[in-house]
Amino acid sequence: MGKKELKVAFLLALRSLQRGSRSSVLLTIIIVAMCFTNMVFLPGLFNGIGEGIITQVVDYEVGNVLVSPKTGEQYVTDLDATLDLINSMPGVERATPHLSKGATLKYRQRMLGVSVKAIKPGDEKYVSPLYSKMVAGSYLGEDDTGEVIIGKPVAGDATIKQEDEFQPSLGGVRVGDSITIEYANGYTKDYRVKGIYYAGWSSTDNNVIITWSDMEQVEGKTLDYAEFITVKAKPGYEEKFIKDELQQYGISEYVQTTGDLLKKVMGSVMQSFAIINLVSLVVGIIITTVVLFIVITIKTINSRKQIGILRAIGVDKEVIMHTYGLQVVIMAVLGIFFGVILTAILAVYLAAHPIVTPEWKAYLFLTPMDYLVNSLILFLASVVAGYVPAWQVSREDIQTAMRA
Amino acid sequence: MIEITDLKRLYHMGNVEVRALDGVTLNIEKGEFLGIMGASGSGKTTLLHLLGLLDAPTSGRIMIDGLDVLSLTDYEKTMFRLYKLGYVFQDYALVPDLTMMENVALPAMLRKDRSEEQVKNDSFWILQRIGLCDRRDHLPRELSGGQQQRVSIARAMVNRPDILFADEPCANLDSENSKMVLELFHEINEEMKQTIIMVSHEDWHKEYFHRIVRLKDGKVTSDGKNHSAH
Ligand SMILES: Nc1ncnc2c1ncn2[C@@H]1O[C@H](COP(=O)(O)OP(=O)(O)O)[C@@H](O)[C@H]1O
Ligand SMILES: [Mg+2]
Repeated sequence: MGKKELKVAFLLALRSLQRGSRSSVLLTIIIVAMCFTNMVFLPGLFNGIGEGIITQVVDYEVGNVLVSPKTGEQYVTDLDATLDLINSMPGVERATPHLSKGATLKYRQRMLGVSVKAIKPGDEKYVSPLYSKMVAGSYLGEDDTGEVIIGKPVAGDATIKQEDEFQPSLGGVRVGDSITIEYANGYTKDYRVKGIYYAGWSSTDNNVIITWSDMEQVEGKTLDYAEFITVKAKPGYEEKFIKDELQQYGISEYVQTTGDLLKKVMGSVMQSFAIINLVSLVVGIIITTVVLFIVITIKTINSRKQIGILRAIGVDKEVIMHTYGLQVVIMAVLGIFFGVILTAILAVYLAAHPIVTPEWKAYLFLTPMDYLVNSLILFLASVVAGYVPAWQVSREDIQTAMRA
Repeated sequence: MIEITDLKRLYHMGNVEVRALDGVTLNIEKGEFLGIMGASGSGKTTLLHLLGLLDAPTSGRIMIDGLDVLSLTDYEKTMFRLYKLGYVFQDYALVPDLTMMENVALPAMLRKDRSEEQVKNDSFWILQRIGLCDRRDHLPRELSGGQQQRVSIARAMVNRPDILFADEPCANLDSENSKMVLELFHEINEEMKQTIIMVSHEDWHKEYFHRIVRLKDGKVTSDGKNHSAH
């Protein structure tokens, strides 16, 4: 197969697409583009959901590494020494403790059972971006006492009647209002609402947060223990590295990375995603292959006589094969090209307007590799779909073809 | 130059044997304008297809310029057709998606010994020769049958073949267009000393042929110089 042969095959292919049935060419290209989009969209969306959940778990739950009590124990003890040790290790940005207590909130006529969480606001800033999620008022200061910040769903909305609420709330608390918190141990205190936040992560948004020193008052003693410690890694440090380091340097508590935790929680979810991804991939490939195969088979059947004539005047089999194979390749390449553009537009749109639910936010998470791999798979499928009928028709006996 | 010896082509239709060509022996000289005539079904197309290497005989031999063409491989036959033979069909058989110019240039584009420049010049020249140069960017469907057949002759001639075959090239044309096409063949034969082997079953065509071979039931019934040719 020389250059001249390929040139002739390309000319014949191009002219057939240009001057043949335009609508069928256009339709075929659109179908390939849709198949590409279908192949890429769902997996991209699932990846987006996954990535979103991971980010939020890191931001609001775990940091990069979670230090929790040894089995059988309720608290991480010897807190100050432990925090100092962790904070001194290479690669650790900051470690910060958390302690939650069950409590009842009272505001005007409303009562609401919640979990009140104590943090060290200064250190917490290094671990969680919650401070940047204030929708009203401001974040807690390090030594604030008698102040509280609450999630937007807890604060509620005064314009919504209690019986219409999606979830129970305090019915419209505003910054500066006073709310009463009655703890399980009987301790009761009024707090001023300093700020209201909305993180888009439901377990955080349903919290009420106070400072560590306020919690010491609740417990009536210095808090040298915590429920768990969240640890943020410095950029460029692997979670696994930090975990190994902590264990090596004598942290006897239970140490897990975000990855460890997510594997447990999300393992089965990811498995279902993987199955759906596989199905959408296979469906895309099958539809593309079948459509291209049918389109080109019909074309070759309608052109049998012409193919016979071309071969009679000295056009080689291979040129005939490429004439039809290339038509499929051209349509597939255009289809994939438009598919890439279409998904890129969708990705940009969803980045600006994510699909939001109370539990998670989703956008399209697609890497250049995803585009490349899917394009390549679809391209190879098209080559097979085009060249099989093209090869068959090019082998046909000239006599039979010409008398067709 | 073409030596045909005891050429046979049999078809088997179930138990019935069709003797499409039943032992034809012929010699055709260079520069001849040969007419193959005979009733429908007499084996004219079969003979032409065998000579054009489009079909293989059941038995017999075809030598072209001393070469046993039946011993060529499939690819060699294709190249032989490309370099040595030209073919004109009854129904023009132009590629409908190509312009006249592209149709004519197609066989030339495939030749290794033709530069792009040459292909262009040759195609242009031959279209000019048949008087359709101004229609070179038109598609086949935009031209009349007679015009299409002339372009089809141009396509067959662009590579300057040793032998030009034509299978009832006027069957789909009215008498005026037929005459024009036959005149064109006549001129090509005269001017270029082109060997032409044409199949026809119209009696009035015979005035163009130097020599007429008549077939009946796959056999040659007469073969002779045509003294009334012009
Ligand atoms: N593929 C074929 N199978 C069976 N019989 C055929 C085939 N091709 C041609 N024939 C028969 O061979 C005979 C000669 O056909 P053909 O050469 O086409 O005749 P002509 O061109 O003179 O009209 C006819 O009887 C025809 O029916
Ligand atoms: Mg015939």
